[in-house]
Amino acid sequence: MNRKLLVHVAAPIAVGAVVLSGCGGSSSGGSSGGGKKTIALAYQGPLSGDNAQLGINMDNAVKLAVKQANDKGDLPFTLKFVDADDQGTPDGGPPAAQKLIAQSDVLAVVGPAFSGATKASEPLFSQAHMLSVSPSATNPQLTSYGFSTFYRVVPPDDAQGKEAAKYIAKTLNSKKTYSIDDKSEYGVGLSGVLEPALKGLGVSVIHDGIPPTKDYSAEAQKVVGAHVDTVYYSGYFAEFALFTKALKAAGYKGNLMGGDGDKDQQYVVQAGAKNAEGTIFSCPCADATVDPKAADFAQAYKAMFNADPGTYSPEAYDAANSVISILKQVGAGATRQKVADAYKSVDFQGITKEIKFSPNGEVAGTTIFIYQVKNGKIAVLGTTADLVKG
Amino acid sequence: MCFTHSFWQLTISGLSDGMLYALIALGYTLVYGVLQLINFAHSEVFMAGGFGGLFAIQAVVGDKTPHGITSVMFVLLGVVVGAIVGGAVAFVLERVAYRPLRRRHAPKLAFLISAIGASLFLVNIAGKEFGRQAIPMPDLYTNGTVFSIFGADVQTNYVVVAIAAAVMLVFLDRLVAKTRLGQGIRAVAQDADTASLMGVNIDRVISQTFVIGGLLGGAAGFLFGLVFNVQNNMGFIPGVKAFTAAVLGGIGNIRGAVLGGLLLGVVENLGVSCVESAWRDVIAFGILVLVLLFRPTGLLGERLGRSA
Repeated sequence: MNRKLLVHVAAPIAVGAVVLSGCGGSSSGGSSGGGKKTIALAYQGPLSGDNAQLGINMDNAVKLAVKQANDKGDLPFTLKFVDADDQGTPDGGPPAAQKLIAQSDVLAVVGPAFSGATKASEPLFSQAHMLSVSPSATNPQLTSYGFSTFYRVVPPDDAQGKEAAKYIAKTLNSKKTYSIDDKSEYGVGLSGVLEPALKGLGVSVIHDGIPPTKDYSAEAQKVVGAHVDTVYYSGYFAEFALFTKALKAAGYKGNLMGGDGDKDQQYVVQAGAKNAEGTIFSCPCADATVDPKAADFAQAYKAMFNADPGTYSPEAYDAANSVISILKQVGAGATRQKVADAYKSVDFQGITKEIKFSPNGEVAGTTIFIYQVKNGKIAVLGTTADLVKG
Repeated sequence: MCFTHSFWQLTISGLSDGMLYALIALGYTLVYGVLQLINFAHSEVFMAGGFGGLFAIQAVVGDKTPHGITSVMFVLLGVVVGAIVGGAVAFVLERVAYRPLRRRHAPKLAFLISAIGASLFLVNIAGKEFGRQAIPMPDLYTNGTVFSIFGADVQTNYVVVAIAAAVMLVFLDRLVAKTRLGQGIRAVAQDADTASLMGVNIDRVISQTFVIGGLLGGAAGFLFGLVFNVQNNMGFIPGVKAFTAAVLGGIGNIRGAVLGGLLLGVVENLGVSCVESAWRDVIAFGILVLVLLFRPTGLLGERLGRSA
């Protein structure tokens, strides 16, 4: 009896021990199958919660980049993908970052995705000398905190605000613009750049801040009563959709424009295609489904995930590939410190832009795209550089 | 600056909001009347009604926007299905979350925790099953200006909400005042023990009260979803507002809930025209505090049983 019991208990424990040591081996960077060392590229962003879709867009793109890099077969190591869910919230950031730092085979991170989570996570990454390249954190302040290993492949909101202002003033020829933000860190940051820029271009501006709500009918009345020709909403698409509905019901006929947080096909769905028609978006993001330079990526993405790449998928793909190029360059002896040092001088031609950075981690160049809802789909009009006259 | 350009417009949209608050507030007030208990899961009854109406409408409405009499039929269908789903959820809620506690004579706090638990459960199960994105109701009519009054445009949305809500409010008022069921509810509200000695089946009356509140809340959920889309967490804010309306009018008081709802809706909307929108809730709740300072039991007082 006793011996039998011993076998029953001991066998699983022994198996468990083998599995555990296996994990330990690979996570400490030891060799695994094929004699190649395994290192990991991580992604951090929201994978659950209200903003999960945006995070999944990026998660998938990084996954794809890792798979393609391995398939190519010229890596001096085997690249593994891991991810951590921070729900896009500031308090979700540090635990997710900690989880990645604790895995010693993770040498670099694509992410965090959202500005709040980035601000909370970066001190940990800096301390761990862990390179982190965000595809989408656009809050202007982020590069001013002195994080030593933080980079982002999108221009910050002040670039977007300035370019959007030029578009409103010069292309839409606005005389009077109603600027509304949702009082979030992102919304206030964007409207805070947009409004002075508009005034500087001779457009008169009315400001209002509306914390997210459902019923925008009173605000819509206010906008209609103010006789403006353009409305710009700095916030997120779910609220912008309801606001759009209320504005159209109140009889608003002028231009309607939003920022990158508003640009999502869900906006069209939730506002109703008829109401959403003609709405304009500014976004530092490229659209892989329409850009010919991203056609290969869009095709591979669709083949792997059976969905079109979404907002910030191309940026995440570029961020991942730029990091992979550095990992390759550093080679099999890579450490977190070496990777972070080498990334400082990265110069990589991505599908959205050339990825190289100023010393504070800000990407060179400020390409802002303008989109518009046409026939119920968000279509790209071009970059502000092309669209703005003079 | 205040009120100048759109006083009537804002009053009308405020009344429309207020009608919805009133419908939801009745659910709180009725249950409070018979149980002296705030049913914090009522906002999820409202949400369930929204989804019920949404699915019914999605099943029958095609791509084309209906017109005329078909629009009316569809709205009616949505209201009825929303009400039935709301009533059913409220019924189950009472059975699962409250009745077992009542049987064991649990303290009042236990009911509160049970209500919050049920509320969280329902929000998240709906999020898991139906997604966390807002889902728009298909267009049941072309929303536009129906007529103008004092220079203010009255939209189809307002008319639909106002008519549907007014019919239900009058119906409820008559129900409680005239029918046997209403008598039972009032009897339990006045004095549950005596009512039970007089032969009123308390459990049954309580269950019926939940269902009536659920019917109204579910119908309100559909009407709300028609204008503001349906989402798993759609109940929270209207729930808080409706609860406020119920307290404002005098919790447990049916006409008070209606008055409170309308007042809150109008004040909120007019307030926005005076100050930045961020102050909307500050104004609404500031008024609540003021009213309660001078009339601690609400505008019309706390009574369901006595002459309403």
